[in-house]
Amino acid sequence: MFAGTRESALLVYITAMIALMLSVLPLPQLLSIAWPNLLVLAVLYWSTMTPSAGGMLLGFVAGLTLDLLNGSQLGQHAFALSLVTYLAIRLHLLTRAKPIFEQALFVLIALFVYEATLWAIDGFSSHHTGSWTRWVHIASGAAIWPVIVGLLGRLHSPR
Amino acid sequence: MAFAGGGLNRPSSRDSAPGPRFFFFAVLSIVLMYFDQRDGWSERIRYVLTVVAYPIQVVIGSPGMLWSATSDLFETRASLRAENAALIKRDRALALTALRYEALEQENARLRNIHGALPPLVRRSQLAEVVNADLGRLRQRLVIDKGDRNGLYRSQAVVDATGLMGQLVRVGPLSAEVMLITDPGHAVPVEIVRNGLRTIAVGTGEATELDLPYVPVTADVKVGDVLVTSGMGGVFPAGVPVGVITESRRDPDEILARVRAQPRAEMDRSHHVLALWFDPGHPAAPVDPKLVESLPPATVGQPVTTPPKPPSEPPPEVEPKSGEKP
Repeated sequence: MFAGTRESALLVYITAMIALMLSVLPLPQLLSIAWPNLLVLAVLYWSTMTPSAGGMLLGFVAGLTLDLLNGSQLGQHAFALSLVTYLAIRLHLLTRAKPIFEQALFVLIALFVYEATLWAIDGFSSHHTGSWTRWVHIASGAAIWPVIVGLLGRLHSPR
Repeated sequence: MAFAGGGLNRPSSRDSAPGPRFFFFAVLSIVLMYFDQRDGWSERIRYVLTVVAYPIQVVIGSPGMLWSATSDLFETRASLRAENAALIKRDRALALTALRYEALEQENARLRNIHGALPPLVRRSQLAEVVNADLGRLRQRLVIDKGDRNGLYRSQAVVDATGLMGQLVRVGPLSAEVMLITDPGHAVPVEIVRNGLRTIAVGTGEATELDLPYVPVTADVKVGDVLVTSGMGGVFPAGVPVGVITESRRDPDEILARVRAQPRAEMDRSHHVLALWFDPGHPAAPVDPKLVESLPPATVGQPVTTPPKPPSEPPPEVEPKSGEKP
């Protein structure tokens, strides 16, 4: 009865919203550096497991939301997240059949592409490019990928 | 739980063509970035989008707000009474200080040969609640629940009960974004109260630290010195408490000393902030940058001690237009 793209799209956007809430929790300094970008991870998960539910639109909308909430250049996160979503959707047949630790490696690469795109746009537009701490979430994001798969995998029947 | 059956895997039109979609979104993002950089009509797009984003900001800020609301709910009568007693005591102490302050102000006016009482510096203030905080190494921002509707304007000074917080960088209809003085992109012109040394305090990205990178080794700066705004730059008025020097290290080989300060305002703990409007006639009010440009060059040995007379036609608007850079 829940079949169809509409319900799953709803589920996708709800989880994205929860991920967004969790990613901006006020945290102590050290923890906040290592805190993974959960919204990007959620987008990566849905793009890999069910590309039809969220699709490219999810990546763009999530990126634009990040732009607005971060007050960064309008379109910066939207571009980076669209790019990563595109890669995840294009490669989803390849990645989703892989063991979870190999998937985490793909996530590591995707997060690196994401952060490097943001970093490059910051540089092009002569904004503050930040210190090395901006790269920490790549490692932590890849590290908690199995947890993300475990949690979000319960919400639907994967594959 | 089987939430979405087999519908998730059914190929649909959505995943059939991610390429063209990506191309479309990428071009859209680049167009947005281009116009945002050029400060064109994207300011208006952003203005509209802030209305859409405001509920999201409230929702994602809600766990913290919910916590403080619940702890309010369970406050006991005894603790409220104790708090009330403490506040009355503090009020008495502040009233005494205010008394002394008024006498000093009059004495100051006499010394400066200004006749008649000065108008109060702060003409109006608007209390606003913090609905969301973004306190990372890269950004130190707050979102408050008042905006254009309440007359807030870009580059307006924001304080809390203890000191300077920052300035408004973005104003939407219902909300506004405060760039804190601890933001790595923010610099505030300051002055050391003890000796009047003027310098600049730059944010570090940590809510409890400011950097003073332009202090020469020979300058007289000690740990414990109090920093106030110097009134330069035309955004903040003179004399607002900023912080206290916590570190002052000198290396004789270097030209500049390493000076750090702790901000006075509680960046990561304040729930309420005040946006201020200043009386342009007051000497301590922030100087309008346009007014400074029209100043005649001061002759040597005769420093300008009084603010320039406003032109006789309608007084210049001190509040900068929304399109201006702060």
